[in-house]
Parts: sequence; structure tokens; C-alpha cells
Amino acid sequence: MPLKSYSQKIYHDVGIPLQDDYFLDEPEEIVQNKSMPQLESAVRIVAERTERGEKRVIHGDVLIVGAGISGMQAALDIGDKGYKVVIIDKTSTIGGSMVKLDKTFPTNDCSICTAAPKMVELSRHPNIELITYAEISSLDGKPGNFTANIWRKSKYVDPDKCTGCDDCVEVCPVEVVNPFDEKISMRKAIYIEFPQAVPIVYTIDYENCVGCGSCDRVCEPEAISFLEKSEEIEVHVGSVIVATGFEVFEPTEMRREYGYGKYENVITAMQVERLLSSFGPTEGKVLRLSDGKKPKSIGWIQCVGSRSTQLGFPYCSRVCCMYATKEASIVKEANPDIDITIYYMDIRAYGKDFQQYYDHAKDLGVKYVRGRPSSVYENPDKSLTIRYKNTLTGEVEENTADLLVLSTAIIPNQGNKKLGELLGVEVDENGFFKQQSLLTDPIQSTRDGVFLAGCIQGPKDIPDSVSMASGAAAKAVAPIKDREKHIGKEFPPEQDVSFEKPRIGVFVCHCGKNIAGYLDVEKLTEAAKKLPNVEYAEHMMFACSEDSCKKIRETIQEKGLNRIIVAACSPRTHGGLFQDTLLEAGLNKYLFEMANIRNQCSWVHSHDWDAATEKATALVRSSVAKARYLQALTEEEFSVYPCTLIIGGGVTGMKAALALADMGIKSIIVEKEPKLGGRLRHLHSMFPSDIKTEEIIDPLIKKINKNKLITVMTNSVLDNLEGFIGNYKGKVKQKGKEKEIEFGTIIVATGFREIDLKGRYQYGKNKNILSQTELETELKNNSLKEPKNVVFINCAGAMDEERPYCCRVGCGVSIKNAKLVSQKFPKSKSYILYRDMRVFGKEEEEYYSDVLTNHHVTTIRYAAEKKPEIILDKDRPGDGSVTVKVYDDILNEEITIQADLLVLTINTEGEVMTEKLKNMLKVPADAAGFYIETHAKIKPLDFSTSGVYLCGAAHYPKNLVDSIAQAEGAASRASIPISQERMKGEGIVAEVNEYLCRGCGICESACAYSAIEMKPHPKDPSRFVAEVNRALCKGCGSCAAACLSSAIEQKGYDSKQINVMIAALLEKEVAA
Amino acid sequence: MKKQLLKSKEIDAIKFKKGELVAEVEELCGENLFGCYQCGTCSAGCPFIEDMDLGPDEVIRYVVLDRNEVLNSKTIWICASCYTCAERCPRDLNITKIMEALRQIVLRKKIDHTKLVKISKKERESIPQLAFVSLFRKNIG
Amino acid sequence: MKLLYYPGCTLKTSAKNLEKSAFAIMEALGHEMVEMKDWTCCGVVASLTDDDLMHHLAPLRNLIHVEDEGEDRVATLCDMCCNTLKQTNLRVKEKPDDLETLNLFMDRENDYKGTVKVIHFLEFLRDEVGFDVLKKMVKNPLKGMKIMPYYGCMLLRPRDVSIDDAEEPTILKELLTALGAEVVDNPFKIECCGSYHTIEEKNLVSNRAYRITKFAVDRGSDAIVLSCPLCRFNLDVRGKEAEKIYNNYKQVPVYYYTQLIAVALGLDPKCCGFDDHAVDPILLLKKKGVFEK
Repeated sequence: MPLKSYSQKIYHDVGIPLQDDYFLDEPEEIVQNKSMPQLESAVRIVAERTERGEKRVIHGDVLIVGAGISGMQAALDIGDKGYKVVIIDKTSTIGGSMVKLDKTFPTNDCSICTAAPKMVELSRHPNIELITYAEISSLDGKPGNFTANIWRKSKYVDPDKCTGCDDCVEVCPVEVVNPFDEKISMRKAIYIEFPQAVPIVYTIDYENCVGCGSCDRVCEPEAISFLEKSEEIEVHVGSVIVATGFEVFEPTEMRREYGYGKYENVITAMQVERLLSSFGPTEGKVLRLSDGKKPKSIGWIQCVGSRSTQLGFPYCSRVCCMYATKEASIVKEANPDIDITIYYMDIRAYGKDFQQYYDHAKDLGVKYVRGRPSSVYENPDKSLTIRYKNTLTGEVEENTADLLVLSTAIIPNQGNKKLGELLGVEVDENGFFKQQSLLTDPIQSTRDGVFLAGCIQGPKDIPDSVSMASGAAAKAVAPIKDREKHIGKEFPPEQDVSFEKPRIGVFVCHCGKNIAGYLDVEKLTEAAKKLPNVEYAEHMMFACSEDSCKKIRETIQEKGLNRIIVAACSPRTHGGLFQDTLLEAGLNKYLFEMANIRNQCSWVHSHDWDAATEKATALVRSSVAKARYLQALTEEEFSVYPCTLIIGGGVTGMKAALALADMGIKSIIVEKEPKLGGRLRHLHSMFPSDIKTEEIIDPLIKKINKNKLITVMTNSVLDNLEGFIGNYKGKVKQKGKEKEIEFGTIIVATGFREIDLKGRYQYGKNKNILSQTELETELKNNSLKEPKNVVFINCAGAMDEERPYCCRVGCGVSIKNAKLVSQKFPKSKSYILYRDMRVFGKEEEEYYSDVLTNHHVTTIRYAAEKKPEIILDKDRPGDGSVTVKVYDDILNEEITIQADLLVLTINTEGEVMTEKLKNMLKVPADAAGFYIETHAKIKPLDFSTSGVYLCGAAHYPKNLVDSIAQAEGAASRASIPISQERMKGEGIVAEVNEYLCRGCGICESACAYSAIEMKPHPKDPSRFVAEVNRALCKGCGSCAAACLSSAIEQKGYDSKQINVMIAALLEKEVAA
Repeated sequence: MKKQLLKSKEIDAIKFKKGELVAEVEELCGENLFGCYQCGTCSAGCPFIEDMDLGPDEVIRYVVLDRNEVLNSKTIWICASCYTCAERCPRDLNITKIMEALRQIVLRKKIDHTKLVKISKKERESIPQLAFVSLFRKNIG
Repeated sequence: MKLLYYPGCTLKTSAKNLEKSAFAIMEALGHEMVEMKDWTCCGVVASLTDDDLMHHLAPLRNLIHVEDEGEDRVATLCDMCCNTLKQTNLRVKEKPDDLETLNLFMDRENDYKGTVKVIHFLEFLRDEVGFDVLKKMVKNPLKGMKIMPYYGCMLLRPRDVSIDDAEEPTILKELLTALGAEVVDNPFKIECCGSYHTIEEKNLVSNRAYRITKFAVDRGSDAIVLSCPLCRFNLDVRGKEAEKIYNNYKQVPVYYYTQLIAVALGLDPKCCGFDDHAVDPILLLKKKGVFEK
């Protein structure tokens, strides 16, 4: 439920009406006149512009609407390519829904910890203009030339002055329900959504502010401006990305039988996320809302609002099975005594490592009951009784839970229809945005130049959203590819200070009262002044404010400072800002050091003034000690060869090549088969829109052949690879000949294959037993004979001990093929034997439902421990019909089907060349031969080895929609280095001391980025030494820690620097 | 536990117009039984479940698998058409109508399903008339 | 205001008290409730098979008679009649072909034009009289009475003929609150009472009555209010019989909402016909002092 002010256009010229007593503390003349003080700076500019009837105009390249994880990813991808992005969000911060989550499945990574760095990166990106608390109100024009009007609502707080100190919140007397915490906590009328919000600027909530002026009175930087006006901004761009996300179903009107809104302890899964979150209302504890007590039992009900043809939405919400599993296992892991039950219809653990995650939850003791509860009632102790049928045992039962969680569906934003009209984009019958073609162009909206990313197109998990966002970034660049690019920031030339003695400047930040209120900044500054080599020290109200940064720059020049220390907050959020300040003053950015006296002193020792001051003094002392040894570091610069190698010429590879070509980038496709098209060549049609495979591949091949930027090498295999990001040389074997090619980046699009069943289910012993691929080939060739009974067995060789994973696409394939068979032979009877029906993607549930009802396919669920049995005919084992025995849970009896066609949905694994390729590319793959990405959630398309990217089924089996989104996403990722033309590595890199290195190779295996290689010593080839590739090194320090001979030093953190820091910290004790 | 249903020669002898039980049921009630996800919501919400031999979801399963013995089930006569199942079914199946179709298949073969119980005069006078009308409408062909 | 009224079989026999109290309320409210002239039985249960038009005849004939009287609205007191009439009305509105067939079938009747709106008396009280009006007229507030509203099936389901939210109805709760009673919520308020099984499966219905009542009694409820004559019989009579089956179980009195309105408005208790109940309804009213005021 969006907050009112998010969806309302605020047109008010007077600002917030103030109460009379607001003027009490003001100077006399103001009290007498009862008029407001003069408007200032930015606020005045806006006001005057509006008065003149003018608008602020921004010229950019791409407009992104919505700054959740999808919008942010798209913005960063485009900004990194050198194009100007304007990104808006209707809330006062960026981050979207992801930042509300506690952890993410299936890795249990902290959600905010993975999202926050992206948020900071975005806000500091020179090519990205961020406008929060703003909505789009019109869009005219065509691709390459759009004009959008943006309505930016006033926050009544000057973003340039607000420092995020929180003083205003303490004094605000108005408490309102907090939508960020899903209404389970209160916030003030002046607020930030959450502590890590970006920008850290407070917002006054217009509807609830009473105009008492308390915040204004306490705001030291004088950031509050009640007269600030909302403004219209005109934005000129070449393309638009819509990434406005989703809402969560609130069961107050539909599905009332579950008692949400009536019973206090019935809550939604999103509310559980807020309870689990470390910065949520209970700081991570799951408690009953009725009494704040720890529950003894918790239940989760799945599919609330989804998979419902009546009283809900017909589609599968795609993420609920896994988020419930995640929430349940996190609670169970921390509280083994809590009894946990999840009520479900099908557990859709379809993604990479999802099935294993689900199995792990069961091992932890989370109970899964197959049965959809009918109703819930409350007991006198406020626990809930859930009535359900356990469909596996056939018993109708009642179970009580102290807390009941409804796994509510992802639903379209209420405003989608309006937004669709305004953007000229079609909306589907559920309210999500329609794509041009689900199976061939899922990112393209129905209007040229407008692209879709994330849940606006349908429910999605984070990695699928991120992939799609990168894809949208690739497609959005196409109309503006020839525009001027802006890479990096311009700074004055760096002065060489290496021969100067250290002249250190220390700047201590008050952070309003945040620091100065808890420790003695003056004493700290005086102590700093006395330290050797410190030429200058001072304390300032807000070191990060523009004024202060200017002051730092001026002081550097005035005093000839050559090392700078800022004692303030965290370098993670503010380090980059101060490093830029150094660069602006002509200093190398590595001559900077930060002491985090806010988080580490004033926050944690807020009750002990003296101790906090003492610790801050020690931290500054230690920073100064290190600063004496700081050296200017250089960042390796290298050129990038403007071409991408694509390994694999299936749909994924082809789509990647076309996306690159649309951005003006050359590529080479290496395909092992004689023709392009990959797996689809052997298949009949695609799920869930029944498009024939040739209708998908033929137009692609035609386009590729016509495109001069794409070189195709069929019958070819990459045989040898040398180099690193930007500068690769490869040898390709083509029909016995070897060709040398050059390229800057690599996309792996090698796809997947069916596993060897090794005779299970009698596969290979009878010609009427086929794999799905074999069936499709027969259908394609029209060679299938009319069967009487067809049995499909799903999960053959899947989710067992040997291969614990789900093949993600099998359920969809079996449903589609059952439909094909029954269309071709209407008299045939089809049975699908399945474990859980995992149709999760857009339009898939609807397709499944259609096949069941219109083709009368019978589904029979079987349990993992009761696999179907296949008996061959005694007389005709090789070509007779087969007997299929399967145990039906609903009837609780064994069913025997005489099948004259048995089709096995066989599990999948990575392509045959994975083993060789992964060594060549220096990238990892899992036991099943699927490549492992850098980060399962937010870097699904990158390898940790820079310059190599992956997409499609090489990552994990996936349907065409997701594969195409990934292909276009990988194209975006692979094009970034090429767009930048020249790249810079890290300054903080590892350095090998050749004299000390024994060539043992431990560092090589410790390096996660394949940046270290053992090479013969140039002067003494008999001995090996480690060599660091400065382009690939990320400066993580693993090698330095692993080296037994201390032959590796981490620049910027070398042993000497660390030693003097420790000594400085301990100084006092040593002296005593 | 496998459910045991009574056998009745009369009912076993029923021939279906369309050859299949499921086809005849679908024609009578207009509901597509194959759309059932077997989630059990209907059975869990049925106020009469304790008195039934088959849950409504099991009844649907029998019909889909074309198992005629479902017509012998007590369930179809216990169902009093309270619509709770139809109201909550996520698949929007009107299970109430499915039950009626099954009753009608039997009743239209002139097989009545009412026990002739002796009702005292006092009861006859105090039981609301509409109960009698309902019973006759539901259980007598 | 004039309100055309369709009685149905039961209101003239075993639920005379429901009818009488309703008439008394209408009089007190200053409205005129007129029984329609030419009514027949509605058939009680709605026809549920698609090919069965025959059983729509009886309800339809009654709807035609409403039109014949020049009215476009008819109210019922019986939940089952209301449901059956509404369902037929809906069917012929949704399927004009079926209406044509039905019209053709009835030689002696005029064609049904589809102008009639069927309402339940409760809807009339809520939407046209207003519970706030009733509240102002209360002379004997039902103070101290903890009553569980019971809706049963026919007021609420199927959803397209429901008079309130099908899962979380509030109409009786609002009414009781207006009359000054305390309301005890019960999740079983929308569960079937056992219906016509009361004839052949007495114990089954006693079990239903026990289950529905027990929950409310455990939460302090001392009475049930409802609107359907069959529900009243099942909860009251079969509930009383349940006392013999379940140890320590005591059935609470069951009231029609019309009876409680009449009592609260201070009308002559005779109109309530309290003698026809199995569990004495007067005792509680006296105990709570409602009658004494």
C-alpha cells in the first residue's frame, strides 16, 4: 500500500501552513510581522523559476522510472557505458522493495548489504542524475527524441544542507504509521525511510506535518524550508526504461477467510521481513504483534492472492515458495524450538540451488504440508487455528500457530494502468506491462524506445530482475549509441608529492550532534594538532557538505598539505566523496585516510564521553601514523579491443550478438555445430506461447547474417585463450584449421543438455520410451504414431541424491508436449506424473491451467520416495507398450496405466565442453557443469574474472524468456569495457617481491579473480614467481594473507602501514 | 488408507450418455473438473467432512479418473449445497454444482436416495416445511 | 414506504413468529409491509444443473406475479426463499435464452420482463431504514446480552446473491450493536447448520449445532441471533437434543433478529411467539433485565 503522498500530486504554493507559536523563538521583527524568513538558495531558485512559468530542463540520454534494484542496475550499466541517465523514484529514497527484505534466498545474503553499495555507487556516479520523490507525468516523442515531464514533490528539506543527522526526528511530535515497515511501526512526520537511505535527506510528509516548526528550530545546518515548492522538470532523452516494480497483495478484501486485518497475529510475509530485518521495528526478532512475545509455533500459508482464478490473481507469484522457505529457515536456525509449518500446493523451488535450499529447510525441521488451508480462526490466547487437508495423508486436520504468515503475492502497482496510458504502453489483463513478444522480445514494451525491467513485466526474483535490467540497459542504448560519451570525471593534473615530507591535514567532523554530541571534538582536534607531521587540524560541522569540501580543497593549497585525514563516518559511504575532493585539489586520491569516529566511537560509546573521546583520539593517531607512509598509487590503464567473443550460437548467443550490434559493437559467434540455432533446432515449439522454433531462430539467423558487425564461425571450437579483459587472443579450431581471433570481452552462452539416465525408467530399452527432446524431434518430423495412452514422467534423474537439483524447465516442457500430443491425436489420453508442478514464469500458470482444462490432461503427483515403476512387456520388451505403476496420493492407491508412449522429462546438466572451457576462461562451474556467477543475487551475469560474462542455460537451465533477458543483459555487461575504450584497474593491488617469492603457488589458488599466475622468472627461467595481473586484481588481500614467505604486499595496506597503525593505537598502553 | 466404497448393482449398471462419467458430469454442471489442482481447500472447509466417506477433492479425483464407483459414495448425499467449497476454491470450480450433477446422474435413473424414517407427528409439525421440500428435491429423482 | 412481501411455505407454518414480529416492526417503523397476492412455493433449493430449467419455473412464476402487482421489488423473510428467488432472477438475467424458454413454457402467465429486485428483509432494514434509525427507537437496549450472530449459508453464498461480505459478514453485528447488545464473534457463523439433514440425520445436525454454538459459548456468548427458519430449528431444537449427546453442554436460546428488534423497540412481546422455541428465550431476557426496562 503506497503512502498517500507517494501517489498524490501535491500542488500547493504556500508550502506547509505553520502554527502560530512557530514564530515564538524567532527574532522580534519576524514575530511582529509574522512572516516567513527569506527563501534561500536552491529553494528560491525553484520558486522564482516557477513564478516565471519556467521549468527546469535536463538533457540526458536515458530516463529510468523507478529506482529499485532493477532501475539502479540499468542506470549503472548505462552510466558506466558513458551515457547520461536521469533516474527518478516516487519515494524519497532509492532501493525499492529489496531494501525492505532481511536476507535473500538461496544464499542468505543480507539484502541491504548487497543493495546499499549499489545505491551509493549510483548516487555518486558522474553520469547519473537522481531525482527522488518524483513521478513522470507525460512522455512525448519517439525513440532517440523523447520529452518527459517529471513532477518533483517538495521534501521541504534542502538536500544540499541536510546531513542526515536525525535531530529533527527526535523533536517531531507527529507519529504516523510507517509504510516502510509495512505498517507495523510508527514514524514521524519528518523522516527518512531507513538509516541507509540514499540520498540521506529527510522528507516532511505533507499530509501529516502540523507545522509546529520544531524540526526547523533544531536543524543546525538550517535545511528545513517549509516554503519549498514542488516543481515540474522537463527531461529530454533518447529512450526510457520503466522499472517501477510491484506491490504486495493485501488480503483485506479478498481471501478474508485467513483473518488478515481481523486477527492481530496474522501477518504478511513482507511484515515478517521487516521483523527479521536488523533495522526493523523489532531489530531482527520475530515476535507476535499481539503481545510482543516469542511465538512457539509459526505457520506460513502459500499462494495467498496468487494462483487464484477467483478472489485473487491467476498467475504464480514466483518468489513466495522461496521467500517463505527462507524466512522459515532463518527463524528455525535461530530458534530450533519454534515449530514451523508451511502449507503449500506445489513447492516451486525451480532456480539454481533452490531445491537444495528447500531440502535444507526440511533438514532444519521446517515442516511442509501439502494442502491449502480453508480457513483460520483465533483462539482466546490469540493463537490461530488453521484448518487444512493434508492431501498426502488424506486427513482433514486443525493445527494451531502462535503466529500465522500469509505468503502474499506480488501484484501490479495500482497505478500501472494510469502509468501505462501516460507512457503509451499496453498493460496486460492482470495489470503488468505487456512486452512486445514474450518469447522473442520480453524487454521491449509495446512502445518503441520504452523498455521494461524487473517486476513491472511480471513477478520476478532479484537475479532475474537484475538480468532483465541489464538487458534493458543494452536495448536502451541502441537508439542513442552514437551520442557523445562521458567516461569518468575530469580532474586537474596530479602533483607529485613523493619527495616531500608528509604534511598532514586532519579534519574532524561534528556530524551535527552525531559526533560532537558524544565526544569532545575540540580536544580531539587539539590532540591531532600535536601529532608529528600534522600541519593543520580543524573541526567542522559537516565535513561532507559542499562548503566543507571547498574548505578542505582550499586548505590543501594554502597549507601545502599532501596527506589528508577525515575523522568522520564510514569510508564505505563517504570515502569516495573525500577522495574526489583530493583529486579536485590535485592530490593523488590514495593519499587519503578516514577515521570512523562516528560508528566506532560516538555511536557505540554514546554513554561515555571521555572514553569515546579517548578512542577517537587513538583512531586519529593511528590514521596519522599510517598517513605518514601513504604513497601515491597508480591505477593500471589499458585499452580494450572493441569486440566480444560469444561462445555458443543458440538463441541466447544470437540474441547477445544482436544486442551488441545494436549498440554498435562487433562480436564473433563461435558455434560447434554446422548451423546456428542451438537446442531449439531439435525442438518443436516453445512454452508458454506455442511459437514454432523455426519462427524464433530463422529470423534471428537472417538478421545475424545480414549484420556486418557480427562474424559467425560454425563448426568451430575455441581451443586456446590468452590475455585478460580488454586484450584477449584466442585460437579457434574450424574444420581442422586453426584461426586466431582478437577480442576484448567474452560471453559464455553454451547452453545445457539432458543427462545420461543410465537405464533408469527403462530408458533406452524400448523404442516407445522417449526423452522430451526425442519426442519433440518426432513431432517436428511428423513421425510420431498415434498413441492411446501417453505417460509423461517428470523429474527423471532430478532432485535425487546424485543430482539434487530441479531442471527448472521440465514441467513447462511436459505440459506443452502433452498439449501437442493431444492436439495432434485428440483421442489419445495424456497423463503427467510430477512431483511439484513448477510453472512459475509469466503466463505459465495460465498455460498449465489451459492445458488441463482444454486438453483434459490428467496429472498425478508422486512422492520422491515412491517413484513410478516401469515394467516392460515380457513378449515385446523392445517395442511393446509399457506398464506404468504410480502411487496416487489423493486416492491413496496404486494406479496402473498401460502406456504405448512413455516420455521422460530428463534432468539437465552443463554442456560437454564445460570442463575444458572453464579452465581456459579461469571461471568456476558447479558439479552439474553449470557456471558459477559472481553473486547469485546482484551479479548474475558476471564472472568474478573480469571481462567474462555468462547467460542463458550455461548458468542454469532456463526458459526462453529468462534466457533472452540474460543474453541481452550479458551483452550490456560485456559492452561496458568496450564502451569505455580504456579501463582502469584498482590502485590498491597486490605486489610480489620476486626475491622472497618461492613460487609455491598458494597465492594463485587463493585468488578469487584469477589475477595471479605462476610464471618463470624472466632472468632465471628455472624458478617460478607469482605475477599479479594489475588489470584483474581487485585488491582483496587474500594472496598477501596466504603467502607463507611474506612475498606479497597489499598496496595501501602494506605491513609497515599496518604495523605503525597498531603501534599508534597501543601507544598509550606502551607508555604506561 | 485406501477408501472403500460400497457396491451397488443398480449404480454400477448406469450407462453414461457420453460414454464417460466425467463428460456427463461436465455437461450437467458446466464445470471443468480437470482444472482441479487437488489442493484440498474444499475438503478442509466442508462442514460435513467428518460424515463423508470421500472428501470433495477425492470425489473430483474419482470423476477425473472415470471411476464410476464414486456414485456409491455417501459424500454426494451428505453435501447439503452450502457453497463453502465453491466460494473458496482457488480454481473457481463450483464444487456444489459438481455434487449436484453426481446426484442427478443417480436420481435421473430413478434411483431414490432417501431412507424411509418414521417421523413422529410432533416432529412433522415442528420441522420447518422447507426442510421437507429440500430433502425431496435433493434425494428423490 | 410500502414493501411487497413474499412469505413462502415456512413463514405460514413453523415460522409464524418470524413473520409476526417482522410485521410488528414494520408497523412501529411506520412502513407498510404487504403480502403479495398470488404466491406459490419457491422450490426452496436452487436448481444446480445447467440443463434443468424446470426448477426455475416456481421462483420465476413468483417473480412474474411481483411484476403483475406493478412492483419492482420484493422482500423475503426466509433466507432460502431469498436465495432461490435471487438465483433464478440472476440466471434469467444472465441467460436471456433461458428466460425465453421459460416464458414460452408458462401459458397462463405473463412474460417475465426481468424488472424485479429480490431483497432480504435484513437488507431493507440496513439499506432503507438504516440501523441508526432503529438505534434511536430502542426503548429496551439489549444491554448485557452477549450474542453471537449466525448467518448460515443462504444469506451469503453464492457470492453473487450475497447480502454481505461472504467471508466476513457484519450486517447482524451492526444490527445487534444498534440494539445495544454485545457481539461475540464466531468463525462458524457462516458454516452450514445441517439444513434438511435434520429429517434423516438428526445426530449429524445436532453435532453441527453443538459445534457452532460451543465456540461462541466458550467465548462468553449467551444467545444466538439468526434469520433463517431452518437454521433456527436446527440450532434451537437439534441443539437442545445435543445436550443429551455431549456432556456438560447447554444450548443457549436462539432468536430471530426480528424478535430482538421487537423486544428492543419495546413492542408487545406477544408478536415474538417465544412459545415456539425449544430453549426458553424469555428467561435470558428477564435475567439480563431487558424486559424490565
